[in-house]
Amino acid sequence: MSGEMWRIVAPESWTWSSLSYKLTGVASVVVVWGRAPMEGTGALEQTGKSDTGVAPRGLPPPRPIRWSLARKVSLALVAILMCTMVVAAFFAYYKFESVYSSLVQSRYSFVVFTIKKRVEDSLNLGFALRQLRQVQEILEREKLRDPQVVAVEVYGANGEILFDTDRGAIGTRVSDDLVAAIRGGANQAFGALDEDMLIVGLPLVNTLGKIEGGVVLRYPSSYIQRGLGGLLSQLSKTVLEELAVFSVLAVLGLYALFGSVGRKLGSMERTLDAVMSVGGHAVAEVGADNFEEHYAEFIAKSREAMDHIRDATDEVGRLDRLQ
Amino acid sequence: MTLDHTRPLFVRLLLLAFLVLVPPVALLAYEALGEFSQGLVPEMDKKAETVGHDLAASVERAVGYGIPLNHLQGMDQFFGPVRAANPEIRYLAVTDRDGHILFLDGIGREVLEAHFAVADFDEGGGRSHKSSIGDFFDLALPLAGKAGSAGHIHVGIDKNYVRGLVNDIIIDLGVVTLVSLLVAVEILLFVVTFNVTGPMRVVAAVIDRVRRGDFSRVCGVTSDDEVGRFVHGFNAAIRLVDELFRRLSAYIDEVKSVHFDPGVVERVTDIESRVRFLFRFARDGQPAIVNEHQATDIRLPLFLFVFAEEISRSFMPMYIRDLYAPIPGLSPEMVTALPIAVFMLFIAVVSPSAALTSARLGSRRVFLMGLVPATVGFFMSALAHNVYDFIVWRSATAIGYALVTMACQGYIAQVSKQGSRAQGLGVYVGAVLTASVCGTGIGGVLAERVGYRATFSIAAVLAIVAGLLIYRLMDARQPEAETHAPRKRQFIGLLRNWRFSALILFAAIPSKMALTGFFFFLVPLTMMAQPRADLGDVARLMMLYPISVVLLSPLASRLADHTGWKAGLVAVGGLIGGAGLVLPVISGETEMIMAGIVLLGISHGLSASPQLAMIPDVCWTECRNIGQTNVLAFLRLAERVGSVVGPLLAAAFIPLYGYTGAIVALGVVVLGMSMVFALLSFAYGSGPHIEAELEE
Repeated sequence: MSGEMWRIVAPESWTWSSLSYKLTGVASVVVVWGRAPMEGTGALEQTGKSDTGVAPRGLPPPRPIRWSLARKVSLALVAILMCTMVVAAFFAYYKFESVYSSLVQSRYSFVVFTIKKRVEDSLNLGFALRQLRQVQEILEREKLRDPQVVAVEVYGANGEILFDTDRGAIGTRVSDDLVAAIRGGANQAFGALDEDMLIVGLPLVNTLGKIEGGVVLRYPSSYIQRGLGGLLSQLSKTVLEELAVFSVLAVLGLYALFGSVGRKLGSMERTLDAVMSVGGHAVAEVGADNFEEHYAEFIAKSREAMDHIRDATDEVGRLDRLQ
Repeated sequence: MTLDHTRPLFVRLLLLAFLVLVPPVALLAYEALGEFSQGLVPEMDKKAETVGHDLAASVERAVGYGIPLNHLQGMDQFFGPVRAANPEIRYLAVTDRDGHILFLDGIGREVLEAHFAVADFDEGGGRSHKSSIGDFFDLALPLAGKAGSAGHIHVGIDKNYVRGLVNDIIIDLGVVTLVSLLVAVEILLFVVTFNVTGPMRVVAAVIDRVRRGDFSRVCGVTSDDEVGRFVHGFNAAIRLVDELFRRLSAYIDEVKSVHFDPGVVERVTDIESRVRFLFRFARDGQPAIVNEHQATDIRLPLFLFVFAEEISRSFMPMYIRDLYAPIPGLSPEMVTALPIAVFMLFIAVVSPSAALTSARLGSRRVFLMGLVPATVGFFMSALAHNVYDFIVWRSATAIGYALVTMACQGYIAQVSKQGSRAQGLGVYVGAVLTASVCGTGIGGVLAERVGYRATFSIAAVLAIVAGLLIYRLMDARQPEAETHAPRKRQFIGLLRNWRFSALILFAAIPSKMALTGFFFFLVPLTMMAQPRADLGDVARLMMLYPISVVLLSPLASRLADHTGWKAGLVAVGGLIGGAGLVLPVISGETEMIMAGIVLLGISHGLSASPQLAMIPDVCWTECRNIGQTNVLAFLRLAERVGSVVGPLLAAAFIPLYGYTGAIVALGVVVLGMSMVFALLSFAYGSGPHIEAELEE
């Protein structure tokens, strides 16, 4: 040990983010992380003396941050938010679609039920289904009442169309599904999808309970889609707006939260670098937790080990030169 | 904020997640409800008009025959069926030209009279006229008589009906929000522990060594964030000291070997001894890398995997019923129960060897191995043709499930120190229960929208994501495992301990019977048999079970520790669960099933932890001989007998007593067994039982 005193020359003012003090020797520096040491205050305190047998090599330059903590967590939270909003909107939309289409179906079911009642009233008079000429007029009147109705058909138990608002279809056959559907029960309404048409229907039953045929009403599935279209765009707009607003909020919150973590780690890292390069003591902020206090001890121990080894190296060198 | 502790940072994050997730869904729900109500009104008007026209045509026909409007007969019988078939119509009325009510069905006259007396229904020019009266929309349609207008027919639509229709959306969105929050908790917990507190805990461990002068370790953290950069600098400081020491050491060696003066050599040796006395450095030339393993490492993948399995919980019996194909000698109900029982059987059979495999090959590898059959099982379950191949695919899933869960338990056992085993187990139970809440809740709602098969495919995707997480994030180097496997004879010896046998037979097995027989099998079938119930309702109802367990488990653990009355808590839990299952004897309504589910959750919440906590006392000698972990593993294995028997017994009861009756019958069996345990529990006493050792 040379016993020579060393001093630190600090720039007029400096902060941890622009730490640049000139070393002319080694001294002890009191470094408080979490706040910038003030010029002329006790922030730099010479507490001992050391030797420079081996010039202290500083720590390697800090590793660049590619993915900050805030960015990582933001990605996770925004992804969760996005999934939540999309799933919520998806559920809401399909619930509405289900309610809306069942409402439309119930309206047309009522129309079909009305027709069924009238046809069955006539059947109860003892006429055969194909003899009920007034049925054609009833069907056409109902179709005229609602422009959305594409067709109303009455068919026999064998599937032959007996009356139809599209008169050209009379004599043709309905699909086997519709023939099977009327066997489900005397008052059992049924629904079906035929290409782009939605179908609601009811069986026609005579007084003896025999199924004479069925009545079906066809309406376009695009009618439901039109009703839902406005809602879908409105819902999408709402989701996008809320997603944007709350994503920004999430990111800001996370940057505030993890910014403090990053700053604390950064100042601890710079403190370590400063003490290892220049010397001195690291002192944790008032109210620091165990981890930070232990970290200060870590820095002190590392510096102590470095100084000790350097001193030992100097001493070995001096002894080595004794030839 | 303490960097090496999860809680402070996590609580802040959770608060932020709550603020970011709940308000937008609430806003979305609010706006959607408004939109929906408005969107449905035109359609409701059309419906009212259709009904009104039909009724008007009938009334006009009667009036056309010359019957005065106020002398029409049987109007109540005429209106009644129409209102019954159209629940949105709250009233039907006929008024004369002056607005006096002639006939009314649905509500009291006083509600409408004041409004009808002053309203001008003809202002629509002979068309329909809509007005708002309190909670109703009134649609008035003119009735044509021989001498012009004879009066009006009124169709009253309930304004609240629309709100009632779309109210389910609120519940669905509530479920979505709850599930999102729980998923957020899992992901954020993982992010915080994996990126911040985990690495900082390693730093703290290394700091502790350095404080004592030990520079032989550095942290094995390589992330590219602030923590990674900090650790890089931290490690660099240790390496700098280590490098200086290596140089000094080399220099001393050189001096010692070439210097001619023994005095110098002696002094140099002293210096070396002094440095080595004060500080410790790695012997193999460079500091060793420390990688801390924690129970939380495995939590997110486990959560995702159990989520994948639980997603089909609410609709499994219905899906099996859809795939029904006759199996000779088995009733349809038994065929429906079979895949659930086989699933449980495979878990029971594979679990012991899965635990050994995990100890031998490492948890990471076994987790990944288990994901293969599980994912194939999920995916192929979605494509199953009939119950035969479905059983095969569920068996594959069960093998995967056993491997994955055993790998997770093994990992937790390996990384948890003896003192923190309970905490490690808490991580496992927490992940499983949270996944159960999420999977059950979202699975039913999802299946209702996209179908059973698509939901199974989603389960396969979740399992793949769990695998990717394990593959990418979990260290390939695993902590050392205890490979000591007890022999069969030792396990059979366990059964000679009557307290242990009674615990298995009259507490653990009936508890599992109730879970699989009632909750997994009968609840979905019974609920779907109720009119107007849908899958979403079943799922929401089934969520109550894990929620009850989550809420009660910590309380029960504390109570068991505080009072030491473990056997009593297990007995009380069993009795509550059995009583819950018998409740539907009062009525088969949904409320009773719901009460049964909640009571089962309370039962399991009360008894699960004390059941485990009893083992060290009840099997004091066996725990010393073969290890507590192995005794617990045997308990888990034995109770699976109940898991297999539960659905089969329930299925056997259905043809005899129907769905509700089967619940009650199963409840009687469970309650009976629990009563036996309750009586025996008085003989358990407290503290360790060492008779077996004394006998030996």
